[in-house]
Order: sequence, then structure tokens, then C-alpha cells
Amino acid sequence: MIAKRNDALRLGTLSPARVLEPADGVELAAALAAAAAAGESVVLHGGGTLQHSANPPVRYDSAVLTTRLVAVHEYEPRDLTIGIGAGMTLATLRRMLAEHHQVLPLDAPFPARATIGGTLASGWAGPRRATYGRSRDLLIGATVALTDGTLAVCGGMVVKNVTGYDLGKLYVGSQGTLGAIVRANFKVLPAPPEQRLAISTFEDDNRERVVAHVGGMTVPPVALLIRDGFLALRDAPRPEDIDFRPQIVALFEGSESTVDRAMREYRSALGAAGVAETRILTGAAASNGFQDVLDEYVALAGAVSFTLLGRGLPADAPLRSERARTAFPSGGERGVSVETIANLLTGDVVARVRAPAALDAQTLAAAGAAVRSAIGRAQLIAAHDAAVPHVDAWGETPSTIATMRALKERFDPQNVLAPGRFVGAI
Amino acid sequence: MLSSFASRLLDALGPDVVRAAPEDLAVYAFDAYSEDKLPSAAIVPHDAREVAIAVRIARECGEPIVPRGAGTGLCGGAVPSRGGLVISFARMNRIVELDVRNRRARVQPGLINLDLSAAIAGAGIFYAPDPSSQKISTIGGNVGTNAGGPHCLSYGTTTNHVLGIEYVDGNGALHHTSIDDSGYDLTGLLVGSEGTLGIVTEVDVRLMKLPEAVRVCVAAFTDVESASEAVSAIIGAGIVPTALEIMDALITRAVEAHYHAGYPENAGAVLLVEIAGTHDDAAAGEAALAAIAREHGALSWRAARDQRERDALWAARKGAAGAIGRIAPNYYIQDACVPRTRLPEVMHAIDAIARDHKLPVGNVFHAGDGNLHPLLIFDRRERRQVEAVVAAGTEILRTCIAMGGTISGEHGIGYEKRETLSLVFSPDDLAAMGRVRDVFDPMRAFNPDKIFPSGAMCGEVKTPAALGTATA
Ligand SMILES: Cc1cc2nc3c(=O)[nH]c(=O)nc-3n(C[C@H](O)[C@H](O)[C@H](O)COP(=O)(O)OP(=O)(O)OC[C@H]3O[C@@H](n4cnc5c(N)ncnc54)[C@H](O)[C@@H]3O)c2cc1C
Repeated sequence: MIAKRNDALRLGTLSPARVLEPADGVELAAALAAAAAAGESVVLHGGGTLQHSANPPVRYDSAVLTTRLVAVHEYEPRDLTIGIGAGMTLATLRRMLAEHHQVLPLDAPFPARATIGGTLASGWAGPRRATYGRSRDLLIGATVALTDGTLAVCGGMVVKNVTGYDLGKLYVGSQGTLGAIVRANFKVLPAPPEQRLAISTFEDDNRERVVAHVGGMTVPPVALLIRDGFLALRDAPRPEDIDFRPQIVALFEGSESTVDRAMREYRSALGAAGVAETRILTGAAASNGFQDVLDEYVALAGAVSFTLLGRGLPADAPLRSERARTAFPSGGERGVSVETIANLLTGDVVARVRAPAALDAQTLAAAGAAVRSAIGRAQLIAAHDAAVPHVDAWGETPSTIATMRALKERFDPQNVLAPGRFVGAI
Repeated sequence: MLSSFASRLLDALGPDVVRAAPEDLAVYAFDAYSEDKLPSAAIVPHDAREVAIAVRIARECGEPIVPRGAGTGLCGGAVPSRGGLVISFARMNRIVELDVRNRRARVQPGLINLDLSAAIAGAGIFYAPDPSSQKISTIGGNVGTNAGGPHCLSYGTTTNHVLGIEYVDGNGALHHTSIDDSGYDLTGLLVGSEGTLGIVTEVDVRLMKLPEAVRVCVAAFTDVESASEAVSAIIGAGIVPTALEIMDALITRAVEAHYHAGYPENAGAVLLVEIAGTHDDAAAGEAALAAIAREHGALSWRAARDQRERDALWAARKGAAGAIGRIAPNYYIQDACVPRTRLPEVMHAIDAIARDHKLPVGNVFHAGDGNLHPLLIFDRRERRQVEAVVAAGTEILRTCIAMGGTISGEHGIGYEKRETLSLVFSPDDLAAMGRVRDVFDPMRAFNPDKIFPSGAMCGEVKTPAALGTATA
């Protein structure tokens, strides 16, 4: 039983010898200190939805689960702020906020499993961030357990704060290599009264016109994506059913009158670009539909697949996604295909590479490298286990890596936390 | 006689860049909070290369380094408390690159905040963080203090608009960070670090599309408490307009006397509201806000009719500190932040504290964010009054902390509040911050005596050399 569970927490080729589920931050900090004293290594686990967004650890004695850190520490809806345990799932948080018509737009895939801590630690920055900011911008305070056994607080429960260093930003995206986030405080937002999701399929020949027309809208959507492939598996149960025609997906949020106006403008922009049909989802169907889109970011497909998320300028997102799809010219023959999502507002390009099971490691790695160079600064966000050894999670090492190494050394001198998982083998 | 440090700087950078005569250095000895020692030398570099050279020389000579924007900081952050080198960015004030399509710009740190928005307004875009000092304060200084401003309520503060930073480290090496790089978020660490982690030589900023419609409205209330109730109720109702500012009677009268912007002079307090968005949203927003304001005792509600009136209301609001400076011998502006439900209570408490200490107090603040700015008015020639100001300032901060708030919403900790920091954070919390400092600045050469408590931990607001020189 235990062994099976430990195996479920396997990362790369390693499974942990122990699985700990601390009851609170104090216990977690003590567990880290004990690991440090014993010279052991620890990997933090949230819901496991983004576990491939970092490399497998090089040592892995204990898995620490945040499942019990689900307290609501402070929630005064009238302050539009909340402080919660890092192990809370996004779905639980979403339900709680919805009771007060509030939202926290973190936009992570699989919210029933994804935890607050994991979403922060992975640095997940969702497709609506051009409007609402990244998780780093919504976080107003945090408590972090460090490997010397201390609990360090930063920020607070106020929405404006220049009291000491903004360490919350350091922990976001640190993949659990500096400390364990045990509590996070956020500013939350009033829920938009109206939400609509528009999905239209168009012909490849029309692509430039579509991009040009939707780019000039006076009331822009909060998310605007062009997908090539990436269809929900339920839409295409068999590979031959996949419709590879591009799709444009737009999410509109706001007051009813503004959303109405935006939709009119959007449809006429699409009409002018020669797009005939648009499927429109409203209410719960819109938010569920948008969540499906998010889930597909990290969904695996085919025999072997991996997905990279590259960041760059919004204006050249269509071009970078095009390059990704054609990055591996011999792909077709060998059964390799590349699907993309280009975010026209944030500049993110997501590329999923699918390959047959029999594909050799070298070709797989070459496909990864080619796609990576096409889409910009790219991080792995999902992968079949078979692909993991051949695709580095990080790609290019940033020029500031020496400073990052020094930070790691100063926060975690014994290299207890997630050794080898981070960029530059941190 | 020149110090050997100054001569080395002169040899390397020339007299055009280096200032070493005491009469030339006097302008670098103070900021809007306090006045301190003269630095040994100052430089006014043309580019990052000259900054790097100076940093290397300072390092070799063991001299501390204080970066300086416009010196409008209100916590002594730009003051060279141990002498050393001041780096002024007055000359590095260009927009290096403007990318309208992707709404971003690369700017030099000495660029004046308002000059950026003015230069790009024609393209229908703007730079959102708008401290009231935006006519004089610099982007580099704003990055240093993570400056806020009235419109940060819906747009966020400086940190939410900085995409990347070029900085010079303690060894004089140049680095570039980006929030899109993989790895730790060094950009996020540098913003708000008050010059203690590195010298910022370029900033990549995010720009925003100007809204289609803007409404600026003024509501009159009988007192600050009721205006605060209205703000708490607005936020509690889930409405976040672009700005929600309060001025009390003292401030309103001072402002009207100077600006004649059209604020109701007889009101006990005024609420200044801005709503931006589509035409429909602005209209609906105004109706909803006016209704809540009336429910909470608003005596009047008036919308500015045109751009000229809107500009006049904002110019007066942003000139509030200056207007007080004209009528008060000296004032001390405090900066703290509380959860927004606590606003009425904290305003009441501040009033009581000021009365206890027999100090007139004015309040002009970013109410929507819970960000308070009580201005304590005093005469610095009166020793008793100076002591009272320090005591009242500390009491106000303690009160805010007790209400779940903090000791700085936007001005920073600097020299002024470094002892007070230990009222908010435990030694463990501060040790975590210290680790970051150890990495970026192990020699503590960058802006010493700022942010971190000296070790005395007495929890008192610092009495500066000349409290309340901020009368400009
Ligand atoms: C009338 C008035 C109104 C104000 N209103 C507001 C307001 O609404 N909101 C608000 O947030 N503040 C406000 N302030 C405070 C002040 O204007 C801000 O803190 C501003 O950001 C300081 O900018 P500065 O260019 O004057 O910087 P300075 O005061 O020169 O420096 C501020 C800090 O930044 C550091 N620094 C400067 N340049 C660099 C650099 N290149 N690299 C690294 N560090 C650097 C300095 O060392 C110092 O610690 C106001 C001040 C006044 C006098």
C-alpha cells in the first residue's frame, strides 16, 4: 500500500523512501530541518498537475505532501483578500470565493487536483494574465518553511505593501527549491457578471486576416488564443478524427452591456476575416469551456508527447507558433506532429509534440530542440514519462544564473529541496 | 583637498561626470524626508558603463553607494547616511525603446514618471503607476520604492508594471533580468528593494491602453469616518473603480485655496472617485458608486464635466502635500496600510492619537487600497512638537499593525522606519530577507542603514536630523 503510493510519487526514475504529510507549517518546517540534519532530500508535492514543469530530482529521499495544509487562515470577503493553506485545491478555493461572487484568476489546469502551493511554485501564469496579472501579481503575502526549520513571513493581508523585500515573488516560480510555501495570501477580484466563450474554426488561408481583424478591437477579450490542434480528446477520440483546422478562442468578461458590445465587434471582425461560424458558450458553459481549454495545455496525447510553453512578444506569437509547427520538417514521415496554442494577448506559445512510441530518443530530443528554438524562452509544462529524459524542462540558462545559484545556496545550503529540479541544475 | 576616492573617480570618469566639491554635493545630502551627511563624491553618469566603473572604484575604496532618483522619497531612502558615493540618474532620462504594438518600453531610470506617459499618450497608451510626485519623481526611484499612486487601486503598483531590469551588481557587473526568463524572479526582488540590492540602469515597463471613457466624481461627506465607511462599502460590494481617494477638511481647504479645482470647501471630507472603462461601464459604475455614497451619508455628488475639470481635480489632489506645505510650518507625512474594512476605525484612531498629542492632522489618502497618509502638522523649532510627531507617528503605525495592516503601503522603509520594521516581522522573517541581501550585497555597500533594523530593535520611528523638511 505504502510502496504503491510512493511509486505514484515517482519523479523520473526515483521514488521516495518516505512520504510525509505534515499537519501544519510548523511540522513542515521541522520535517525540512530534520531532512537537512540527516543530509536527506525532500520534494514538495501539490496535486501533481504540473510536476513535469521541472526536471526530475537527482536525489529524492522524502516526498512531502501539502494535503493537510488546507486551512482558511483569513477570509474577509469585504476586504477582497484571502489567506489560505498551500495545499488547498484551486477548485475548493474557487467554490469558496464563488459564494461571495469573487474569483482568483490563476487559470491553472485541472483545478480539482491543482493546489495553491503547486500553482505558485511552478510559476504558472495563465492566459488571462494580460488582464488580471500573474500569480505573482495577485499574491500579497506568504509564509514559507525553510530548511533551517524556521517559518518566514513576507507581505501581509493588505493590497499595497512596501514593507521589506517582496520575497513572495522569489518563491513564486521557485519550484520548491528555496522553501516550502505553507500559506499564501491573495487579493481577490469581484467576479465578472458576464462571461462568454467564443470558439470559431477557420481555414488556414484566412489566418492573417483573422489575426489582423481581431487585433484592432476596441473592447478586447480577456483571453484570445489561436489553436492548431489541441482539441479536447473527447472531440476526437481517434487520431484520424482530429480536425487540424485552426481555431480561434476568445473569452469575454465584464458587464453584460460591455460583453454584448465586445461580442458584436468580435463577430463582425471575424465576419470581415471570412470566418462564418462561431460557437458561443455562456454562463457556466463558458467557464467550463475555458477550463477545458486550460486543461488541454497539459493534457498528454498519443503514445508519447511533451508540451513546451514559450514566452515572447504578443505581436509575433502567431509567427512563433507557425515556426513551431514547421520546426521539424521530417516530422510528418516519422509520425511526429506539433500542435500549438498562440496567445495573442500575452505572447505565450504552447507547443505539444506528439510522437509514436517507437521514435528514437535522438529524434525526440531534436524535435524538442527545434520547437524550443521556434517559440522563444520555453519551459516544459507536460510530458509522458518516456519523453522526460530527452527534453530538459528549462532549456536556455538565464544570464543571471550565478545570482540564482547563490540564492539557492543561501536559502538551502545543504541542497535539501528538490535537488536538480530547477534551471541550471539547481 | 580631494579624497583619494574622489580623485580616482575623477581620473576614471572626468569632471563632467564626477562632483566632489562640498558646494556641489549639498544637493545630494537630503531627500524629501530628511537631511544627512554630505557624500564624499557624486556622479551623474551618462550610461550604465560609467555606473559600473564608479561601483568598482567605490568597492575598491570601501565606500558605500547610494543610488538617487529625484530625491522625492519620503523615508530617507536616498540619503547618504554614511557618506560615500551618490549616483544621480539626472542624465539617464531617455526612453530607449518604445514598442507600441506590444505595449512596452525600455527606459532609463532617470526618466521622470510623467514624461513617459506624456511621450506616449499620442499612441493611446500610458504608464499606469502614478505617484502624486509623478511630475518630478523618476522611474528608477519608483522602482526603488515600488511606488504606488491613486490609480494603483485597479492597475496595481510599480512592481506589476515592470517586466525586466538591467542592473549593476556590487562587483560592477551588468545584468539583465526579465519576468519571462526561467529561474528565480530577480525582477520582482529588485522592485521595492530601495537601492539595497543593486543599481538599476534600465527598466522594461508594461504600458496600458488608455480607457475609452473616464469619469471623475467628487462626493462631499460630513467627516472622514463616513467617507471611509463609503469606501469600505464600495469595496465590500465588489466594486473596484480606478481610484478612490479621500481628503479631509483641512486638506481640501488647503488644496482649494491654491488650485480652485472645484472641491466642496465646506465638506468635512471629500471622496474623489475615478471610473474608467467603456462608456456604458463608466456610466453604470458612476450610478452604482453614487448610490453607495449616498447610502453612507454623501451630502453631494458631482461629476467633472470635461477633461479640463477632471485634470483640475487630479492636479489639486496630487498637489495636496505641496498645498499643505504652503500653510503649515512643517509637516510629517506618514504612510501605512490597513485592510479596507478597518478604514473607519483606523481614521477614528488616528484622529484620537493626533488629539492626544495636540497635533493638527490632515488626511489625504488612497482610501480604496486602505493606504493611509496622515499628515502631522508641527513647527520644528518647537522641541515638544517634534517629539510629539515622532511619538504620534509610531502610535499610528502600531495601531495599523494591530488592525492587521502594515507600516508602509508605498513610500518604503528607508532610514525612517527601519527600526519599526521589527514590529511587523519576526527575526526569522527578517533573516529570510537578509539572505537575499547577502547574495546581492554581501558587503552591505548598497544603501547602508536602509530597510533593515540596526539591531537596536527599539521599534521607534527614527528621528531624523531635520524632521519634516518636506515642506516643498
Ligand atoms: C509631494 C510628494 C508626493 C508623493 N506621492 C507619492 C505617491 O502618491 N505614491 C508613492 O508611492 N510615493 C509618493 N511620494 C514619494 C516618492 O515620490 C516616491 O517614493 C518616489 O518613488 C521616489 O522617486 P525619486 O525619483 O524621487 O527617488 P529617490 O527619492 O531619489 O529614491 C527613492 C529610493 O529609490 C532608490 N533608487 C533611486 N534610483 C535608483 C536606481 N536607479 N537603482 C536603484 N535604486 C534606486 C533610492 O536609493 C531610494 O532608496 C511622494 C513624494 C512627495 C514629495
